Amino acid sequence: MLAKHQHICPRNCYDTCSLISTTYNGVLLSVEGNPAHDYTKGKLCPKAMSDIQKVYSPSRIRYPMRQRHRFSGDWERISWDEALEQIARTILRLKRTHGSTLPLALNKYSGNFGALHNAMEALFSGIGPTTRAIGSPCWSAGVDAQTIDFGRFRCSSPLDMAHAKLIWLWGVNPAWTAIHQMPIIFDAMERGTTVVCFDTHLSATAARSHRFIQVRPGTDGLLALAMGKVLAEENLLDPDLPNYTLGYHDFLAYLDSEIRVERAATITGVEADTIRDLAREYGQTHPACIWAGFGLQRYTNGGQTLRAIDALGALAGHIGEKGGGVQYGHFETWKFSGLGHTEPSQAKANPVVGKNPSDRALNINKFAAAALACTEPPVRMLWLAGRNPLSQDADLHLWQKLMNQLEFIVVSDLFLTRSAAAADIFLPVTTHYEHWDLHASYWHYWVGVNEPAIAPVGESKSDLEIAWRVSAKLNELEPGSCTFPTSGSEKETLLRELSPELLRLLRLQSPKEILLQPLKANLPPASWAQRQFATPSGRFEFRSEKAVQAGFPALPSYSPPLSPPPEAPLRLLTPHHSSALNSQSYPPDTIPNGYTLYVNPELAESYGLNEGAPAEIANDLGAVRVRLAFDLSIPRDVVIVYQHPAELKDSCLNVLLRSHTTDMGTIATGAPGLALNETFVCLRRLTGSVQRLSPNP
Amino acid sequence: MLKQLGFVLDANRCLGCGACAKACELNHHLPPSLVWRTIRKVEDVTPEGIRRFYLSTACNHCANPECLRVCPRGAYSKRRNGIVTHSPEKCTGCKSCVVSCPFGAPKIHPTTGKACKCQLCYDRIEQGSTPYCLTACLTGALQLREIHTLALDNLTRLTAPLPSLRLTRPSVYFLPPRRVKL
Repeated sequence: MLAKHQHICPRNCYDTCSLISTTYNGVLLSVEGNPAHDYTKGKLCPKAMSDIQKVYSPSRIRYPMRQRHRFSGDWERISWDEALEQIARTILRLKRTHGSTLPLALNKYSGNFGALHNAMEALFSGIGPTTRAIGSPCWSAGVDAQTIDFGRFRCSSPLDMAHAKLIWLWGVNPAWTAIHQMPIIFDAMERGTTVVCFDTHLSATAARSHRFIQVRPGTDGLLALAMGKVLAEENLLDPDLPNYTLGYHDFLAYLDSEIRVERAATITGVEADTIRDLAREYGQTHPACIWAGFGLQRYTNGGQTLRAIDALGALAGHIGEKGGGVQYGHFETWKFSGLGHTEPSQAKANPVVGKNPSDRALNINKFAAAALACTEPPVRMLWLAGRNPLSQDADLHLWQKLMNQLEFIVVSDLFLTRSAAAADIFLPVTTHYEHWDLHASYWHYWVGVNEPAIAPVGESKSDLEIAWRVSAKLNELEPGSCTFPTSGSEKETLLRELSPELLRLLRLQSPKEILLQPLKANLPPASWAQRQFATPSGRFEFRSEKAVQAGFPALPSYSPPLSPPPEAPLRLLTPHHSSALNSQSYPPDTIPNGYTLYVNPELAESYGLNEGAPAEIANDLGAVRVRLAFDLSIPRDVVIVYQHPAELKDSCLNVLLRSHTTDMGTIATGAPGLALNETFVCLRRLTGSVQRLSPNP
Repeated sequence: MLKQLGFVLDANRCLGCGACAKACELNHHLPPSLVWRTIRKVEDVTPEGIRRFYLSTACNHCANPECLRVCPRGAYSKRRNGIVTHSPEKCTGCKSCVVSCPFGAPKIHPTTGKACKCQLCYDRIEQGSTPYCLTACLTGALQLREIHTLALDNLTRLTAPLPSLRLTRPSVYFLPPRRVKL
């Protein structure tokens, strides 16, 4: 029998597409986009088109497994009862031994962004105060910057961009990472909108834009400030600024005294005349929209960069404009109830919810170092869910040390990931075709449910089901040891996740109505249209007391990014590719054969390397083998590897990554972000014996 | 005059994402080693700017199809709407078409040993639907047109300067992309 079900793509992706699956006798046949969704519009990216392959992939793990020795690959299938018994007994033993539940650590993030996946946090909260990874590896600095400037972190509906006469895509590559935005942009271009793309190299989006502005990595904030200065000099400031902003005189004085356009041109690599042209066009075109991507804030000065761009938007009067604004992301629709056992997530720009007030909070970006440093009590058990830190985190040498020290490691996932190789117990989880869930987007305004279309593959279970079962086992062994429910209905739990505020936003009388179709939240299509801000002053704050309290300058200001050390002179950028999402590859079983290093041909020539040549990039933390490919648009002091998973036997890219953190992030997400664009390497030729080459003079 | 349906690709809107090729592969149940639609990346740099764009190509459904001319079994036919189809029941897998098509459109199916190629989803078109590749295209870059009625001013044919290109008269056009100002 044919049946159709609705789903939401749960990936950490702008688009959060609405999907419709077709099954025949309980087998998934096809997945299509939902045409009723005004952003997805019935279309899928090739990643989601690989979903059926993913669900039925032969490499998907279908049963709980136990590994005899970590990293040995010596796995044996066990029953759920054995797995749960071992987990529960370990938890209770650690609690007895240490007289505390703090030795238990949870590290979970965005493997699946569904609200019911917060069950893992709720389970840990039900056990007692535990050790938690908090913050976000992704967007923290930018979120804080927007929270400081606007008082709240929100963006206009992505459809609103259609009204812009000028679109600046700044450090964002939607052609690869938010593909459903591209038709909106293209349609605007056909109506006469000018599109300018700012990036470090000619991205797939830059290649489709009218104009490409190449900015030296980490200097975008200075570029924005220099353009702000031009606006001031050429009398292109919004005359209404005194009515809705705070501290603009101070900010203009800062621009006047500290910022020189010619000097900015030298530092940013954008010619002074170009800076002036761009500023004039931005100041004179209304509406004009800036979309600031996550890439430009992954620097040690990332928060200031976003603050400078916000300030530029405000100076020109584009904030609150229909089709204008500075768009970054939002969390307005993530108002889930928190499974009754976690702190509700509203107003927290952080999907890692559910902190118990007496939890031990460790920055997710420095988790290994912080966990190793924990004493009284030490961290003894780690549960990884929706995470693959041994592939995606910094400080992998510390992770390795941590994994060797821990007493017990549980990984719940779909596949045997690089991190799963460290697990004692592996628990197989369901995909979004096998469980109920509730999803919101951090870009568009839609919220929708995910229905199970097929029975769980093998013995896999949803995170919620796993959390119930762990709680049941704990309570069986020691009654009262976990307050998380021991059973329930996924569907009923989902309905309870719609908080009164979310119901109001979705204009629902009862939660059940969400089961019919995805719904668009009733939010104004253009943010800050009334120019009433959520800051302490109610104004857009050029000068922010909140920033000062958090230890930052009151005004958006430029501080340079890190400089490469002499022994590692090349900046390594690792943007997302269209065919991978962090360590998830698409199609699921195709892992590229080694890494490709994209370099400027002149750089390669100075090292005596040809296109296709094997080489190695290295720094004091490690080395990774690469094959060279040429891209004329990459600066000579930058090299690029598009991130994708690596074979377990190969060294993974992140061995090169140190946990430099971003300036901001603590205010809204609890911890600073990861400044992963501040990674430096040297390039070596691979010959018989590895030797370091310096460029020819 | 008979109709001639053909693909038109707006290279300004093509992201090279491969949704078209993936939809073709999935819906026609092609084995992993076989593709009917491919994406080619093209780049040229001049002082006026840079062009980096993608060409999504499949069978060109030529006005004078070479495959049809060389097939000893008459496995190829041209429908009234210009679509060039191949009938596997007549095909012996002799590869004449595979070697003679200037665009490499026909391929040998690894399981059947017979030739196969993009049939422009003629059955879907007859039912008033669109080919899978077009349905999948996120940006509207890939279009299907009656090319005899098409204004050709801004369009170019395939870039390969092959003499046989003129002879077969491929029914595929590209709207060349603008240069990105640097």
